[in-house]
Amino acid sequence: MKLVIERGELLRALGHVTSVVERRTTIPILSNVFLKAANGVLHLKATDLEREVVEQIPANVVQPGAVTVPAHLLHDIVRKLPDGSEIEIKRDPEKERLTIVSGQSQFALQTLAAEDFPDLSGGDYPHTFEIPAHDLKKLIDKTRFAISTEETRYYLNGIYLHPAVSGETAVLRAVATDGHRLAQMDVSQPAGAAGMPGVIVPRKTVHELGRLLEANEHNATMSVSPAKVRFEIGDVTLTSKLIDGTFPDYGRVIPQNNDKELRVSNAEFMSAVDRVSTIASDRGRAVKLAINGTKLTLSVNNPEGGSATEEVTVDYTSTPIEIGFNARYLLEIAGQLESDTAQFKLADSGAPTIVRDGSDANALYVLMPMRV
Amino acid sequence: MAIRQLSPETVNRIAAGEVIERPASVVKELVENALDAGATAVEIVAVGGGLSMLRITDNGHGMGREDLALAVERHATSKLNDDDLFNICTLGFRGEALPSIGSIGRLAISSRLRVGEASQGYGLVVDCGAKSAISPAGLNAGTIVEVRELFSATPARLKFMRSERAETQAIVEIVKRIAMAHPCVAFELVTDDKAPLRFPAQAPGAEGRLQRLARIMGREFLDDALPIERMRGPYQVSGFAALPTLHRNDAGQQFLFVNRRPVRDKLLLGAIRAAYGDLVPKGRHPVFALFVDVPTDTVDVNVHPAKAEVRFREGGEIRALVINAVRNALEAAGHRASVYGGQQTLDTLARGLATSGTGAASSSWLPPAHPAFAPAGFGEAMQAPFAGLIQPSADASAGDVAPSPEQLDRPLGAARAQLHETYIVAQTRTSVIIVDQHAAHERLVYERMKAALSEGGVKRQGLLIPEIVTLEPHEVSALEDAASELAELGLALEAFGADAVAVRETPAMLGQTDVQALVKDLAADITADRGKTALKSRLEAVASRMACHGSVRAGRRLAPAEMNALLREMEATPFSGQCNHGRPTYVELKLSDIERLFGRRG
Repeated sequence: MKLVIERGELLRALGHVTSVVERRTTIPILSNVFLKAANGVLHLKATDLEREVVEQIPANVVQPGAVTVPAHLLHDIVRKLPDGSEIEIKRDPEKERLTIVSGQSQFALQTLAAEDFPDLSGGDYPHTFEIPAHDLKKLIDKTRFAISTEETRYYLNGIYLHPAVSGETAVLRAVATDGHRLAQMDVSQPAGAAGMPGVIVPRKTVHELGRLLEANEHNATMSVSPAKVRFEIGDVTLTSKLIDGTFPDYGRVIPQNNDKELRVSNAEFMSAVDRVSTIASDRGRAVKLAINGTKLTLSVNNPEGGSATEEVTVDYTSTPIEIGFNARYLLEIAGQLESDTAQFKLADSGAPTIVRDGSDANALYVLMPMRV
Repeated sequence: MAIRQLSPETVNRIAAGEVIERPASVVKELVENALDAGATAVEIVAVGGGLSMLRITDNGHGMGREDLALAVERHATSKLNDDDLFNICTLGFRGEALPSIGSIGRLAISSRLRVGEASQGYGLVVDCGAKSAISPAGLNAGTIVEVRELFSATPARLKFMRSERAETQAIVEIVKRIAMAHPCVAFELVTDDKAPLRFPAQAPGAEGRLQRLARIMGREFLDDALPIERMRGPYQVSGFAALPTLHRNDAGQQFLFVNRRPVRDKLLLGAIRAAYGDLVPKGRHPVFALFVDVPTDTVDVNVHPAKAEVRFREGGEIRALVINAVRNALEAAGHRASVYGGQQTLDTLARGLATSGTGAASSSWLPPAHPAFAPAGFGEAMQAPFAGLIQPSADASAGDVAPSPEQLDRPLGAARAQLHETYIVAQTRTSVIIVDQHAAHERLVYERMKAALSEGGVKRQGLLIPEIVTLEPHEVSALEDAASELAELGLALEAFGADAVAVRETPAMLGQTDVQALVKDLAADITADRGKTALKSRLEAVASRMACHGSVRAGRRLAPAEMNALLREMEATPFSGQCNHGRPTYVELKLSDIERLFGRRG
């Protein structure tokens, strides 16, 4: 195996694939990246057995072949080579080394056999559809903050992607919850997505997907099978196992009859919450919201630290109400809103509260109050 | 096979199987008999682990001829008046011991009354159930019971005996326990392999009791013991509990007595564990000797054949009494840490001196030195040129001014220096105190947090999806009964059918937590009458972790004023003698001990 490749191309591809490689693994080959040269293309593949990322980049292939080498090591080497340099990659079959030569630098890396590298790509994907990259990005970006990290309820450790109907329109919907709050985001349903089953995409896959979507404005192809999901974005393919579990019937926890409506400038609200919560202790930062007429009073009382209050002018016409929330949850939800106005729908101090984006009806957040 | 009535011998042997497990049980039964007979001196001789020969001699009131004949009959006892099992004042009452022993070995009793037929003593032998005639015997007032060839009539039981040494040890333990409960009685135990164990009679009162306990539990218990004395209605708890910094890796130094009867009662042990709570590290056991005295009609000692467990009529009252008594004593001790730490430090120093040959090696109190452990051999000579570079980072500024007299009078004294940016050295009138600043501050922060927790209440985070936890029906009802208290601790739950609970709110402090595991642990705790420990300890664990992060780290330089402030706060804070992990926060080196270290004192 022998090829010559431009440094920038290789670096970008390694950046995509190596992030799934765990720093510490018990199976040595999982620390490696799979390299295969054939027909003027270099294939790169990395996996942690739950998901794999594959990328193809053009290369000047002199002699085809396949090998695996330590992924983070190769990534670090390529990163430190000078910008714009040409890299020659050559496998020495006798010594079982991979030689990397660029300018005056030369590296030799230990290899492991390419045949032993695990492969997740097999299987049929009955449902395949195209989805605009910014829609996919929106689905995960607006909901991922609410993914549970508590592992006993493993079925909450991901985003639930499924076709749904919102009002009259068919949508593709993402839902995540950790039991304290819930985030729901809709995008218009791509053609071909109607029949797909609901799938729970694991947190780490969501993270990888987010990275891959960062600099992409094109369409992505999403394929779903009962056990796996695949995203093809440009030259990169991310295949992941799904969380094998049943997502709870989230529709039941979204209140329908919250009649007390509050509208507030999101920026003002966020900075006020941020300011008063300075005084709260590390954990369980409770902020009390007292709403009376157009006056919203935020207060925090920490027996150890002191107390803080701030008033914000709001748009509110219902009966006065007092309700407590975890400041961090409030800030995280408010941070997702894109318009200037945050809209709250409240019922009473013990019931779930709805938060919506003033202009974007597709996003919906539910937050459980805290008893202060 | 036809049904037939068992012979009296067989019946006695069956009973013996329950009462007489091993030679130590014989010792227990016979010594208790002696104490019930009002003895003030008891001598116990055990040969061959008690299997070959056991002899218990007392100076009690003795038995007359008729009593002696009756004593070896089954269910014959002098101790139960009017057959009232609900008012037991004596240690024994079943009337099973002597006939049981007589049925499985060779029992010889001789006794002489202290009053009445004063001139004459009588003897009687029961050999594996066969009684001899009563014959005159010569002895002083009191009773001598001798048992030979124990278990010779029950060879199966004999096979299960452990080594003679183990049986001897069991006898020693039993005698110690009984001796602890009866400080006014002199005990002497003679066994094959050891010098006789002697406990001279002590004066009545707490001091006598402490002296007796110290003889059995060791000197350090004497130094660290906190007196406990508390009444509640008719119930009384007394005795001594050691400071939390004196702990052991097994429960062998925990002694409990109910009406002077040694017991291992779960209710009481649980109460004491609750009282020590987070002061003792996980997996370690506090040291104590507690005596619970209750009116005889409020306790049922007839639960367990060996009387190791008892049942209280008002278990909750007793539990509360014990928790309060121990907790109060520990709180009153405030910042005190075990002197054991200081003693260890001095021993280490002394060892170092002895091996380097510069110490007062002539002093007889020095522990034997092992040259192999000499702390040389790290190439000190090679490093000598660097010595100047590794001067301790002493902050000597505290020592510039003479310490104020009022500070010297405080228990933790006046701060004089900070060494290695980790340890505060303080001086009192009679000692030198070394404080671990991180450990000490951590405890202070933790206690403050706990106070805030109990003051401000626990904040509850509502759950969007109630968590359904499947449990046993009795656990569900137990949790339901405790629901309002749990809500105060931040956990809101309600019954969900007969065999599940729905959790609606959890303590916000726990963040995202494993609700299933938490509730199951809680249910187990509550049904086992351990209170809400699971939830409380989890909250306290979070507080403890936060305290660890929020406190002054080792390696921070403290100004003299800061050091003194820390010492003063330690004096004012309960339990500041140990950090959250149970390690001591300071050690105290007595001036007298330091003087001895330098050979200034003998």
